[in-house]
Amino acid sequence: MSKGKKEGLAQAKAKSTAKAATVFLLPALLLIAIFIVYPVIDTFAISGYKWNGISTDRIFIGFENWKTLIHDEMFWKSFRHNLTVMVFSILLQIPIGMLLATFLDAGGKKFNIFKIIWFLPYLMSSVAIAFLFIYALATNGGIISSLATLINGKRTTVDLLGTSPNALFTVIGVMAWQFTPFYMVYFIAGYGNIDTSIYEAAIIDGATRGQYIRHIAIPLLGPIFKTACTMSLIGSLKYFDMIWNMTQGGPSGSTELMATYMYKLSFQQFNMGYGSCVAAGMFVLITAIALLFNKVFKVKEDY
Amino acid sequence: MKNKFLAVLFASVLAVTTLAGCGSSSAPASGTSDSKSSETKTETTETTTDTASASTGKQTDGKNLPTLTTEPLEILLWDIATDDPGKSTQEAAVQRFMADYPNIKVTQVHQQNDNYKQQLVVAMSSGQCPDMYMHWGGGPMAEYYKSGHAIDITDMYAKYDHPEFIDAAIAQSSYDGKLLAIPFGGLSGCDIYYNKTIFAEQGIEVPETIDELEAACEKLKAAGYIPFSLANASKWTGSMYYMYLVARHSGNAEFDAAYTQENGGSFNSPAFIYAAEKIQDWVRKGYFPDGVNSLTADDNQDRALMYDGSAAMMLHGSWQSSGMKNDNEEWYTQNIGVFRFPEDTEAKAAGVPQNVEIGTAIGNGFSFNCFKEDGSIDQEKLDACYVLATQYYNDDTYNQMQVAVGAIPSIKGYGADTVDDPNDKVVANVFFSASNVQLWYDQYLPASVTEVHKNCMTELFGLEKTPEEIGAEEDAAMQKAIAEQ
Repeated sequence: MSKGKKEGLAQAKAKSTAKAATVFLLPALLLIAIFIVYPVIDTFAISGYKWNGISTDRIFIGFENWKTLIHDEMFWKSFRHNLTVMVFSILLQIPIGMLLATFLDAGGKKFNIFKIIWFLPYLMSSVAIAFLFIYALATNGGIISSLATLINGKRTTVDLLGTSPNALFTVIGVMAWQFTPFYMVYFIAGYGNIDTSIYEAAIIDGATRGQYIRHIAIPLLGPIFKTACTMSLIGSLKYFDMIWNMTQGGPSGSTELMATYMYKLSFQQFNMGYGSCVAAGMFVLITAIALLFNKVFKVKEDY
Repeated sequence: MKNKFLAVLFASVLAVTTLAGCGSSSAPASGTSDSKSSETKTETTETTTDTASASTGKQTDGKNLPTLTTEPLEILLWDIATDDPGKSTQEAAVQRFMADYPNIKVTQVHQQNDNYKQQLVVAMSSGQCPDMYMHWGGGPMAEYYKSGHAIDITDMYAKYDHPEFIDAAIAQSSYDGKLLAIPFGGLSGCDIYYNKTIFAEQGIEVPETIDELEAACEKLKAAGYIPFSLANASKWTGSMYYMYLVARHSGNAEFDAAYTQENGGSFNSPAFIYAAEKIQDWVRKGYFPDGVNSLTADDNQDRALMYDGSAAMMLHGSWQSSGMKNDNEEWYTQNIGVFRFPEDTEAKAAGVPQNVEIGTAIGNGFSFNCFKEDGSIDQEKLDACYVLATQYYNDDTYNQMQVAVGAIPSIKGYGADTVDDPNDKVVANVFFSASNVQLWYDQYLPASVTEVHKNCMTELFGLEKTPEEIGAEEDAAMQKAIAEQ
């Protein structure tokens, strides 16, 4: 009897929790539905049309756009650029971010000033960063070219943004400058979450600071490391704003990413149908890569 | 302590990102809400038959124009006049109109130039296209018309009064024989600005043929100057050299043929090969600055090379006169002269016209998108827009304000006599003696071909592709665009 009543109470509590949860989650769900789910579905729908984006007539052409996409050299070229950006982003941003975090964690309060200074790039808007580096890297009067001129003693031009392989790597470097601070803070938070008792126990057991970091802290940061990689991966696959402002995909398409290509098609070349198809293709590719990445990492963790 | 620090950091990041979000979206939001409210207002306001100052004291009195409604009417107008002098000139035109027609409210939305075309596409696709909007003519104007966002005003223009626009301006405002826009921006030529001091110091005369130009370049190069200042990250800048060489070699006949791809027309025909080979030859000889593909014209890096005396010439749009004058008038007056693009002696001997000019005869035009809910033309609104564009924009006050800042209205009677600046006089003379004004390729070609053409300009100046490869690429893009029409 009393047991039944207890269950009733528990049920009632669960019910009211569910109600409260619904009330609190509904606004977010609604927003996600309107601004994420619906546009994604609509993008896939539009990818079946030949449409210039402004006309009232859309012509349904089925999978024609998708067939074009599969054979579109420019799209796959942009995808390869995205992959390059992805690999180098993960290789640069995360290790450097982690190093800085380790340094700051070891230093404690007296390094707070570095924390603030190093975080600054991430606080700047991508557009501002783009212009900052356009000026810094300019062949006429930019920092690098001026330095080279000074060292060489005659007018020397270091063309980082105007020639083919250089431009992509320059942009990758600027991206690293922008995003490394984010991963730094992320890892600082990770270090903060490790219980001090673990540290104390390790020190009492005679571990040195280095041993603690190598054998205890870093393994404990594993999950954070994985999330950071996933974020960097997705971020670099859908990257747009800074590249757009710095190079617009140029010179001659050598920094074209899937997103800049999609934007040009949809909004500059009056080809919204195919632009949507590229966007949908991006969605499929990014999801697939992210899932694959997660799966691979999970397998490793099991060992 | 650490958590507090992080909390503050994340809070500031959030603040920054939300602010950034606001900044980028506020402009279109205000635009769309305006148009919405205007629709509802015009529908709901009761007809107040208050026939006060109907036809007295307007500057349009006595002209042959449509009679405008006396009922409340709202017009949404989009332009890119975010900065002076354009802003005050254009706002004044709208103010004069609203003073004469107090029942008509014109909402001017000044959009940022950089994203204007994209904003317009978004507005059109979501049914929020403004009633009248500016554009640059060419391929996009044709696209707006074909999608039903630009009303054919040929008949209205024939029936009612309008400024006497020059023929080239009417030609550039038309597509397929239909007039689609009213010009209001003034014309821009494209000529070679040069440093008079350097020319005098090296004993160089203003070149009249391409051979003389090359001799001048050789001399300048030997003296340690960069012959041409060019910022080709913007691509349309390098395109000017290409367009002019094509025009001098074939008088534009070959470009017209390549545009239709008919009768053997091709971007690989002799004039295009000639132009591309010439440019690549000049690049190899060092006539352009190092890193030419990474210098941008948006922040005037080409002008900077003129300023510091390292470059001697610059082929550019005629807006550069007022730009340089604004930066340093004294230096500009002392050092800068201008001459028209030299002639191709061989082609001239063969009878090819040497006075085809590159530029724009309209600068900007207004097209009209006045439709009722049921899709029929809203003639009342269209009449009001027509009167605004032809009688208030383009009236004497407007034109004088334009002239005062060095612009040349594309209206008969304006020209070399109405400008003060000696360089602008040269520009005007060249422009008005042209047999044909070819609009910049990057505005004239269909949008998909423009993108290819611009990339080709990078590859051309970067010596990444041969003239034949570039021609083939442009041909392929043009054929694809024609097939899709």
